[in-house]
Amino acid sequence: MSSSLAIEARGLHKSFRDVQAVRGLDLEIPRGEIFGLLGPNGAGKTTTLEMLEGLVRPDSGEIRVLGMDWRSQGATIRTLIGVQFQSTELDDHVKVREALEMFGSFYPRARAPSELLRLLHLEDKAEAYQRRLSGGQRQRLALGLALVNDPALVFLDEPTTGLDPQARQVLWDLVRQLKSEGRTVLLTTHYMEEAEVLCDRVGIMDRGQILQLGTPRELIAGLQQPSFAEVEFLGSAPDSRPFAERLGLPVECKDQSWAVPLGDPKRDLQAVLACIEALNLPMQQLHVRRASLEDVFLQRTGRSLRD
Amino acid sequence: MHARIFWQQLRIGLILYLRIPAAVFWIIAFPIVLLLGLGTVFGGKQDSGVRLVWEQAGPTTKEDALFLAALGARGAVVDIASPSEAQLRWKGGKLPAMLEGQGGHYTLRINSYLAGQAMQTEAIVQEQFMVAQARAQGFGDPERIPVAMSSPGGHQGGPYAAYLLPGLLGLNLLMIGVFSTGIVDVTLRAKGGYKRLATTPLPRHVYLGAQVVVRIIVVLVSAALLLLVGALAFGIHNQGSYASLVMVQIVGAGCFISLGYFLASFAQTPEVYSGIANLIFLPLMLLSGVYFSLEGAPAWLQRGADVLPLTPLIRVLRAIFNDGAGLSNEWTEIALIGGWTLVLFLLATRRFKWV
Repeated sequence: MSSSLAIEARGLHKSFRDVQAVRGLDLEIPRGEIFGLLGPNGAGKTTTLEMLEGLVRPDSGEIRVLGMDWRSQGATIRTLIGVQFQSTELDDHVKVREALEMFGSFYPRARAPSELLRLLHLEDKAEAYQRRLSGGQRQRLALGLALVNDPALVFLDEPTTGLDPQARQVLWDLVRQLKSEGRTVLLTTHYMEEAEVLCDRVGIMDRGQILQLGTPRELIAGLQQPSFAEVEFLGSAPDSRPFAERLGLPVECKDQSWAVPLGDPKRDLQAVLACIEALNLPMQQLHVRRASLEDVFLQRTGRSLRD
Repeated sequence: MHARIFWQQLRIGLILYLRIPAAVFWIIAFPIVLLLGLGTVFGGKQDSGVRLVWEQAGPTTKEDALFLAALGARGAVVDIASPSEAQLRWKGGKLPAMLEGQGGHYTLRINSYLAGQAMQTEAIVQEQFMVAQARAQGFGDPERIPVAMSSPGGHQGGPYAAYLLPGLLGLNLLMIGVFSTGIVDVTLRAKGGYKRLATTPLPRHVYLGAQVVVRIIVVLVSAALLLLVGALAFGIHNQGSYASLVMVQIVGAGCFISLGYFLASFAQTPEVYSGIANLIFLPLMLLSGVYFSLEGAPAWLQRGADVLPLTPLIRVLRAIFNDGAGLSNEWTEIALIGGWTLVLFLLATRRFKWV
């Protein structure tokens, strides 16, 4: 309990039959941090989470959760953590308040259902069957179940996947509130935007390993090209080769636009405009955007997150 | 601490169980409907139940009148019809047998599809034809062997419903285990419900214990309702001790709930489980003698059925309910059921996976 680290993992390996889901993962998360594991489907995020949650035993490696070891202090750890799955499937016939009461009964100390209902804005749904809830309400209930024991450490597996922007915003506010209450949050996501606005630190994960670790700002600043010029065309984009040759910079082609990484925005942007002018390209719009975690991922793995 | 969690699990488990309309129907309403339906159709009637269509072309002769009177005396209901009307009804396909002709020259036509049903009709028609002939020639009626109706154990003087009711008690134990336990287990595992519980301090033996006790309570309530309906509708009562009946029900429920968990451990999805469950359920039910005695079946089939868990269970339930037998009289059957329960319980616990 005295450890200042909420999570400490060293050299985790896990294979399922012939698939290596996690291959040598190290991770340290200090207490009070919101940490995001970022990566595409199949990167090993869920397996990593399940090992840290004590559900899956690693093939090798060491895990300490809140300074404790699952093998000897599992029962204590379980009373101190809260877990939300991608989709927590409860009994269809359970009502919202009953679900909170039931999960509360598992713990020596539990928060009152009425308090959680207020926190989650589910007061008017207290007597509703859980299968009648909307996607956002269901995710909030799942979060409520994860918070029922007033946990020091909360695991959230893709908490906003499949939610509309408004419901996502509500959930983000709730997660920020968890941090303000001094809890540690470990979440997984494949939304870059979510990681950028929510997480103190991010680990970029691919093929069972963490490739890069840092604050979102550090990771983006670490790119050679922190910003991009996007050249948009009315129809499909023309052949980019003459343009790229003249410009002397790599051009990334999309359906209706080109993206040009700007190492030195002031100099390179002028060059881009000059080349467009010289080649008389049918450009419709030009805008400059800051690089995102998406670009970090692309650069580290050579793949897009949504592949 | 564990006791508190257990009671909470028991309470919520019962509430959730009773909220599923299908579960309530199959476990509580269905046995009552079967008892009322089959009990009424196959038992308790005083007449012979034989309905016969008699095709006659002309007016009734003296022989016809004697034959008709003899049939009526044996409780057969006879419809006299003209040839065209009778042919129409025969073509309809629902008549097991039809009597044709008049004045002493008769033919009994039997529907080959329904030959089994027509057997009783034929027996009565042949027998009463001889009676009518004897009367026509001035002899007295032939003598009959007296018939004494009683139950094998000699206690329950009841009708078919008395045979059926203990069978339904046993069948209900099989249904709650195979359908209402296994399917829940597979669904929860497939949807990650168990995984979620595994991250909490809820001990799995407390959870599973509550699940088992919920089902035992449901099955005992269902049995009590069935006994009540039996008493009110057919006047049949438990001849043995209620404590024995409850004990056998609890052991039987344990046996089939274990079977449900064991079967569920082989299925990844509810769809696959339904297939496995029916594969096990149908033969167990058909071979157990719930509805009818297997006495006419081949010997190897009967011996095979004897060692399956449902057959001895129903035999014990019948012995208690109908003949007032004590448990000590039925120890071979009870040992067999107990053995199955132990084996299935060990297999189920060994194969049970939380995550």
